[in-house]
Amino acid sequence: MALEDVTLQIDEGLTVVSGPSGGGKSTLLRVLNGLVPHFHGGRIAGSINVDSQDVITTPTRRLARTVGFVFQDPELQTVYDVVDREVAFGLENVGMPAPEMADRVEEALRAAGVSHLAGRSVRTLSGGERQRVALASALAMRPRLVVLDEPTSQLDPEGAAMVLDATMRLVQQGRAAVIAEHRLERLLQAAGAMVSVEEGRATSGPPTPPTPPTTQPTAPHMTSQPGPLAWSLTKVTAGFGTHVVLDDVDAAGNQGEVVALCGPNGGGKTTLLRLIAGALSPTKGTIERRPGRIAYLPQNPTALLHLPTVRAEVRMTLDRANESEMPDVILQKLGLTEVAGRYPRDLSTGERQRAALAAVLPGHPKIVLLDEPTRGMDDTARHALVHLIANLRDDGASIVLATHDEHLRAALADRVLKVSGGKVVQAT
Amino acid sequence: MNARSVAAWSAACLFIVLFATNPVYKVVVLAAAIASLAVGAGLNRMRGLFTAIALIATFATALNFVSAHLGRTTLFTLPPQIPALGGPYTLEALAAGLSGGVTVAAAIVAAAPFSLMLKSHDVMDALPSALSRTGAAIAASLNLVPSVAASFVQVSEAQRLRGWRPRGPRSWAEVVVPVVLTSVEGSIQLAESMEARGFGSGPRTSLRAARLKQRDWILVATSAAAVIAFTAGRAADWYPYPQLHAPQIDIVPLAACLLLFTPVLTWRSRG
Repeated sequence: MALEDVTLQIDEGLTVVSGPSGGGKSTLLRVLNGLVPHFHGGRIAGSINVDSQDVITTPTRRLARTVGFVFQDPELQTVYDVVDREVAFGLENVGMPAPEMADRVEEALRAAGVSHLAGRSVRTLSGGERQRVALASALAMRPRLVVLDEPTSQLDPEGAAMVLDATMRLVQQGRAAVIAEHRLERLLQAAGAMVSVEEGRATSGPPTPPTPPTTQPTAPHMTSQPGPLAWSLTKVTAGFGTHVVLDDVDAAGNQGEVVALCGPNGGGKTTLLRLIAGALSPTKGTIERRPGRIAYLPQNPTALLHLPTVRAEVRMTLDRANESEMPDVILQKLGLTEVAGRYPRDLSTGERQRAALAAVLPGHPKIVLLDEPTRGMDDTARHALVHLIANLRDDGASIVLATHDEHLRAALADRVLKVSGGKVVQAT
Repeated sequence: MNARSVAAWSAACLFIVLFATNPVYKVVVLAAAIASLAVGAGLNRMRGLFTAIALIATFATALNFVSAHLGRTTLFTLPPQIPALGGPYTLEALAAGLSGGVTVAAAIVAAAPFSLMLKSHDVMDALPSALSRTGAAIAASLNLVPSVAASFVQVSEAQRLRGWRPRGPRSWAEVVVPVVLTSVEGSIQLAESMEARGFGSGPRTSLRAARLKQRDWILVATSAAAVIAFTAGRAADWYPYPQLHAPQIDIVPLAACLLLFTPVLTWRSRG
């Protein structure tokens, strides 16, 4: 049961939806525009009304004029390849005459704060810009209600700030907005109501301040000194074709040490991780790494998952590494015991992320490379991850984290390297 | 650039190259297609295409040379006991293979403007209104192609680091299955997004209707003229067997092929 016995009234202004991964937030949001049940199927009972329209009997495509929807992944909601055409897509679908459509597109771009992007190719936009274009696309229909499902989960801090600012601006313009989001601090200042969804049950009330920062996890070292060198790059240059991403770079990491990589999107963090992993060869320079297994979590880790159960994914990695550890050890550490027998791709976004971590991290890897490991994670999962990484570090693994997550860096990083403009420097 | 005029030019190129047997006309059409594409898309963007057509054309040529043991001008002979490969290798088979290779190359280059020069919305705008919904769905799915390629690289790297090694066709399932599943999920998410934006709710309109400008009309007219002139000009057939001979060149069909160079004048460089 994804949702059970839910009674809610959503008024104008900003409503924040919170709750743990897999609790039913996405299902609740999709009920508001009829994607549940019309697109996703399933059984539904009770009544749902949005702006006096019965959601159960009105197809989603008809509700599109009333409810705008912005999804998590900015890349998977783009139909056209030019910004203004993309914003016009919904208006074209409802058969609006071209002259009126042009005015609406301009208005929507302005409302989302992206007028300057008109005419740009969507592929050239950053994640934050793409997500604001998605917001403009929803606003172009002049909906009574705008629903945003974790719109910043795939974005870096700058991109997330852009989207949240745009969301708050549309609320100030008098629209109703419902947003599911983990970054609550900024939103709660403007929120009129908060809905908590957990295990399919929803409760509404006034906005509650986020958990104080004192509860951020800490992971003190078991040992005071890092061990011998685990990996090093000497005078390394790398890129794609003629495009140089990293130029004449020196960097190194030790056993029992956590190195965090920060810097803007496209700065070269992922390229550095791939070089250390041996997945990418440098055009110049030398790379050395200690012998032993490398655990690598790519940017889109859920793409890895293909076996029938989460436990089978973990077992496969352990079998290949000839490790005797039982799969349930890491599943318990990451809070996945209850879903261990389920098909990984049926899980919620946050659970999938943890399943992918469980699939690459079990046993005793010597080098651990994680690309944005906390993307889309709730606080509980983040705490579990911090402890797991700390255990691996204390076990002697060399850890490298490419992350925008300041809390994760604060909790774990012994050193922070800034990767930007093709260079790698010690961050101050 | 109007997709309808590009389609007219591509269709004219394909008509001549597929219906002509004379390799001279095929070579002229190939030259026209390459020159036009170089002007419209720029040489840098054609590198990958050149590599692909060189490989395909070479394969087509080699296949005929190896399999057609016909003709009088024997270049060398392999013992007939060698299965499939044994027998005489002739100049005539090589010439026929080259002609086939040029046909394939010209056909690919003539169709290439759709991927190298036009955006998906250009093609959509050019479709008749009855096909606009189909066109929107195709445009959306085309936008997923780059993410599928990126997903393949990412999954194969990550699986390799989980201990996967390519050992025969079955082992590739560990890479192909996640890539396919991810692509299917991506398609479903895109369909969900399209549904939430009213796709399929009724007759569609377009922000910018596709209108033919003067240069587009010129291209449509010259393409039509090329097809008519080539058909009316009754180009002499060419068949290299049993003895290779030079193809006959007629003025009218040759002029028809030269008309296909029109885009060199009408397409602005996008390189």
